[in-house]
Amino acid sequence: MSVDRTTVRRAIGDALPLYVPAVPFALVIGLAIAESGIHPFVGWSSSWLVFGGAAQLTLISLLGSGAAVAAAITAALVVNARHLMYSAALAPTFQRQPAWFRWLGPYVLIDQLFALVTIEKVQREEEFRTYYLTAGATFWLMWQLTTALGLAIGPVVPEEWNLGFAVPILFIGLIVLGIDKSSKLVAALVGAGVTFFAAGLPNRTGLLVGAVAGIIAGTAVERARA
Amino acid sequence: MTAFLATVVVGIGTYLSRSIFILALARRRIPDSVLVTLQFVAPAVLGALIVALLTDGDGNVGIGIPEAAAFVVGGAASYKTRNHIVTLLVGMTVYWVVRALT
Repeated sequence: MSVDRTTVRRAIGDALPLYVPAVPFALVIGLAIAESGIHPFVGWSSSWLVFGGAAQLTLISLLGSGAAVAAAITAALVVNARHLMYSAALAPTFQRQPAWFRWLGPYVLIDQLFALVTIEKVQREEEFRTYYLTAGATFWLMWQLTTALGLAIGPVVPEEWNLGFAVPILFIGLIVLGIDKSSKLVAALVGAGVTFFAAGLPNRTGLLVGAVAGIIAGTAVERARA
Repeated sequence: MTAFLATVVVGIGTYLSRSIFILALARRRIPDSVLVTLQFVAPAVLGALIVALLTDGDGNVGIGIPEAAAFVVGGAASYKTRNHIVTLLVGMTVYWVVRALT
């Protein structure tokens, strides 16, 4: 199989700039692993086992803060439920691809890659494969390296800086970027508010109660307007 | 060991969420009502997570003036610049400064 070098170069050139905003995210994950008390290799292995920043950060922070394992797993999976939308959106494109690619491709289907292939609209099947895999591999490699870098930096940072607070700050940034209508703002506020009042529930299950309440509230506002 | 197994479970779950329609349900469409609901998953969970991460083992939520100030200013910075690096720098700086002053 000859590799289409132009497509490879274009994919790397598209992927790298898109990765830059994810660098602080990766570093914070490394710091969170260092702070959590989880074995560094186990924590870092989430970068290739899960390969999804928000879910990794959720899992590691919750495990580190002594949440019940089941609650931590559930929360991380709920965070990643948005990937169902990507999977459904790309299913017709993948239908025309060979089986090995249908199995391998979803592993690297992160937010950035979805954005790239949705914008790019590569028509030819082989070209799509080359583009998708090259961009996916670029994101994957960068992610492994930068989360490991954060892990190396973590123990060096003085404790009184309380860099763990970078995690909620980053989540505020993610929420703000994701809110494009008032119903999503309602979902975020209700999610936070209900979790606040349910904070006393055992094993941090208040998080799940709050998340479900937020989802219901957002959906209700959306329905009321439709 | 528990942490590793938990990571494996989340890894499998994440792969399934990315692959299920591509591998198995290619001809099935997600009902519109489910799509409407799915878009609220991320904001609701992130909002809940922020509070959960600031909760200590006894169920007390540790949001004081430094944290609240960092959220407001960091959120505004994110809205203005749409840049994670700026958001982090501004948010942490406000947090440190206000904490030192209070």
